Amino acid sequence: MALKDIKTKIQATERTHKVARAMEAVSAVKMRKTQSVALTGRPYARAALQILARLSGSADLVRHPLATARDIRRVALVILTSDKGLAGALNSGVIMAAAKAVAPYATDAVTVYAYGRKGEEYFARRGYPVARAFENKKDTVEISVMEELSAELGDAFTNETYDEVLVAYSNFKSTFEQIPTIRRLLPLALPDVTRLIEDIVPEKGRWSDLRAVESVPAYSIEPDSGEVLAMLAPRLVAISLYHMLLEAKASEHSARMVAMKNASDKSKEVAHDLTRLFNKIRQAAITREVSEIVGGREALAT
Amino acid sequence: MKTFHLTVARVGENLFDGEALSASLPGSEGVFEILAGHEAFVSLLAKGEMHVRAANEEMFHFEISADGIAEVSRNQATVLL
Repeated sequence: MALKDIKTKIQATERTHKVARAMEAVSAVKMRKTQSVALTGRPYARAALQILARLSGSADLVRHPLATARDIRRVALVILTSDKGLAGALNSGVIMAAAKAVAPYATDAVTVYAYGRKGEEYFARRGYPVARAFENKKDTVEISVMEELSAELGDAFTNETYDEVLVAYSNFKSTFEQIPTIRRLLPLALPDVTRLIEDIVPEKGRWSDLRAVESVPAYSIEPDSGEVLAMLAPRLVAISLYHMLLEAKASEHSARMVAMKNASDKSKEVAHDLTRLFNKIRQAAITREVSEIVGGREALAT
Repeated sequence: MKTFHLTVARVGENLFDGEALSASLPGSEGVFEILAGHEAFVSLLAKGEMHVRAANEEMFHFEISADGIAEVSRNQATVLL
């Protein structure tokens, strides 16, 4: 490689480094924000899910239209990904998990609701019908968006357009660990709700004593369990969905920050190596020139 | 006086989380009061205001705008607005 080429390459690598470092800083700020939102949203989601879990000891839940299990012929898949890439294996992990989950069904038996462009692109390219596609640009999420989506899914489930609604998202464990997760949103069932609560409640620390969902034998219920469930069930679907979206957001920014940190570290290393190489070649050229001059002089002297 | 654990939460916001002496809430069937040792109980909430007397005698007031739900079991009360 010629000296000039190396110099250009060093400059390019340094530019990459600057960009990666800037993106790392931006992601770090967004990560902190989304993480704290996801964490403050947890007590609410946990409490709501826990009430449902306890109430569902009664037979009324089974009879609720949102909890009716039937043979699965048509599936709705909600996939929560980011709009932008550069987040390591985050999106591909979620997409792979989702693709695996719907693999047993025919392409036209699956309807995709995509929140975030990466998921939409993947499934649209493979011929799945995409019913709704949302942009996942903003850092803040209004629960109203999720309420609208969950109402739509709830209606479609009740009038038997879909027999099952699945959600694919990445569950936020820590800054370095996000787990692609598939959860069944509808029909509402106790094991799914319990698993969601387990995801929400951390393994140790402040809320960890609440991990076990005990059912309470005798509740007195006002006005009656039917009405409580009628109000609680649709709300829970919205809350679950909202909660999953918050987790997905926190995961996205964490994954991006880590990816950008790796990129900026690596580009720094590459720039360093290239500078070494550059100096070495330059020194070699100088040495050669000096020896040529000396050799030339000696030739003249004799 | 005995206390119970009370959590009052709204989506994305934790309003109250701690020990309380009493809480009065507008239930769908009329106003009710929760004290320590209340029976296992679930109620829908009507529009109105809820009042909480915390363990340190401090008073808190929260507006209930639309449907909320209150749950009490094992000396733990959860109110979702």
